[in-house]
Amino acid sequence: MKVKDFMASPVYTVSSERSVQYVSDLMNELKVGSLVVMDYGMTVGIITSRDIRSSHPNRIVADAMTPIPISTSPDQFAWDALETMEQHRIERLLVVQEEQVLGIVTREALHIKLSQILDPLTGLYRAPYIQQIGEHFLNHRQYFELLFIDLNNFGKINKEYGHPMGDDILIEYSNRLRALTNERDYVCRYAGDEFVVITRSMENDAMRLADSLSQLTVLHNINMSASVGLANSRLVPDFFALSFRDLISKASLLSTSLKQSSAS
Amino acid sequence: MQDKEKMYYSRKATLSLKISEFEVPPMQDLLIIGKKAPIGPEAVKRMAQALSPEQFTIVKLEHAKIEAVLIRNSLFQMLDEKVLMQIILEEADRLISDNMVLRSELKISVSVQREVEL
Repeated sequence: MKVKDFMASPVYTVSSERSVQYVSDLMNELKVGSLVVMDYGMTVGIITSRDIRSSHPNRIVADAMTPIPISTSPDQFAWDALETMEQHRIERLLVVQEEQVLGIVTREALHIKLSQILDPLTGLYRAPYIQQIGEHFLNHRQYFELLFIDLNNFGKINKEYGHPMGDDILIEYSNRLRALTNERDYVCRYAGDEFVVITRSMENDAMRLADSLSQLTVLHNINMSASVGLANSRLVPDFFALSFRDLISKASLLSTSLKQSSAS
Repeated sequence: MQDKEKMYYSRKATLSLKISEFEVPPMQDLLIIGKKAPIGPEAVKRMAQALSPEQFTIVKLEHAKIEAVLIRNSLFQMLDEKVLMQIILEEADRLISDNMVLRSELKISVSVQREVEL
């Protein structure tokens, strides 16, 4: 799920002195929605079909293009690239490596692909998302904290109040997760009533987050709590030698034991 | 009879030449560029630089109809940029639509009157 998996290449280019009319004809011929603007081997902008629609056909590309386009690297995660596009309200990102434009990635392409790993109920990403992030940090031996969150007595709620209420609780709890996490955290609905958070915050902050997430809270007039298992390189020996699947197992077993001890 | 039936066909071209001196630069002192004009600020800047290097400056604006103004540098030496731009915009705003480019001559004359003690 890296940018390079979704980028369109080769990249077609045009110089800034050509006319908008010329670019329009060229885009039609090539059946592309944008061209990279290059002068003397340097990338100076990007011109899209939207720029063409809002410019007089006699204008030169330099007067119609978006200068200094925002770029991404081929190894960036697709969801990070999508977030960048949403932040800047743009439809395309140039994929650049060592000042070389390798391709273009569009918001539409990323949206379609990423919606396949999005949980339609909560709007959170599903397990493959966290799996890739966890494996990335493990492969690069980058420190992270893994929180496995299991809602307590969720099965009982489904039985007592019905599944629609259960769904509402999951949505509310997901919103709570979003509110308690920040840009250093990666959140997913792992399965059923289980959520996983990977955070790059320090252990103390991760502990505080685990504590907040396990606190008793009222959702739709029902008391809810969660058991949170935490795994990090201090708590788990050979943390970086284990697979992500093993770490998930350790954190989930810990949350189960916490659940059992709280129940007893 | 035969002569009468003869057909005449001719094609002629008439040429008319009007020759006058090409003014350099052709844009006089100012060009006011509308937002949807057929020529944009970058093209105007390149044209001015090619025709009269280092003599013109392009000023990009946040304005409802005007995208930029190309102005002769020497005018800024005579009057403050803010004052000058305000006058230009006030006057141009009444005439311009966003798809036009206006050309203007702008001359500044300074009159000074001094008194000295005799």
